[in-house]
Amino acid sequence: MNPDYYDLKKLARQVRAENGLTSTRVLQTDLRRIYFKHGIEIDYWPYRFRNLRGAFICDRFGTTVMLAQNLPQDPMVFTMAHELKHFLTDRDLQASFCDLSNINREIEIGAEIFASELLFPDHSFVEQMQSLGIKRRQCTPETLVKLKQQTKTTLSYAGLAIKAERLRYAPVGSVTKIRTWRKLEKLYNRQLAYWKSSRATGCAIY
Amino acid sequence: MKLIDHVAAQIRELRTTYNSGEGMSQEALARQLNVAPNTVSRWETGLYLPSVSDLERLARIFGVSIVSFFPSDKVGGEDEALLSLLRTASQLHPEDLEELRRYAEFRKARRMYEGKSRPKAGRKRSRPK
Repeated sequence: MNPDYYDLKKLARQVRAENGLTSTRVLQTDLRRIYFKHGIEIDYWPYRFRNLRGAFICDRFGTTVMLAQNLPQDPMVFTMAHELKHFLTDRDLQASFCDLSNINREIEIGAEIFASELLFPDHSFVEQMQSLGIKRRQCTPETLVKLKQQTKTTLSYAGLAIKAERLRYAPVGSVTKIRTWRKLEKLYNRQLAYWKSSRATGCAIY
Repeated sequence: MKLIDHVAAQIRELRTTYNSGEGMSQEALARQLNVAPNTVSRWETGLYLPSVSDLERLARIFGVSIVSFFPSDKVGGEDEALLSLLRTASQLHPEDLEELRRYAEFRKARRMYEGKSRPKAGRKRSRPK
């Protein structure tokens, strides 16, 4: 396989084009539509998993994707995109599962890259960085919060951070190690609100 | 024996022998499942066939596999896809592995179940002209 997973990214862009996905906000309904088109059955499993997010099975009982029902929106969309890759390219394996233990297997890395490109293509990321005036190695956590809020993308902060480092907009390790994105988001929102109110009342900002 | 009668007999058997033969009342089972007591009664008399999701819930309450509700000749041998999935999933957390096995069995049960439910009792409504 191409070390840069070029083919998988191309496939993801092709899926986007074929299914009219033009924005970076891909929803569960969009993916359900694609699943339906391919005859993939979805099972939202209501019972608790520790780490497992989803599994893909293709056998004599049909083609099914199982999704952990309690996943929040962004991980749910990402898992659906991830499992779609297994359907499109790994059907002959009959079955695969996705959790934190096998994330480094080549086939799983491929699925992660496919999902990331499907939700937020690299070229859109570059365009967004340019529109924010961010050059290489200038991307900060704040930039990614702004980007997520502006685009309303369903790609998670973790996904955006990986992309930012891989496309060299952020120095390696500067954003992928962050685990407190929601706290940062709240902090930046408070700062933004303060800045806006200060501007409205004419207060000086130091 | 028809599938619906087999399922009915299995539910009754599991309920009456629950907790080392102590048994459980239909009302208590209905409470756990959040259904009406007469629903359990109808399942056990073979009037209604529980949905496959209800069977999964019953299997969890009784601590058995969902496939145990089906006649052994319908269940067949080991499933290749299930074995393949469990082989690749051996490094999963044991609880996740168990849940994945339950899911694979649920899928299998669902396919065995398709088209087997009896039409609902009650008056047939004619289409408005």
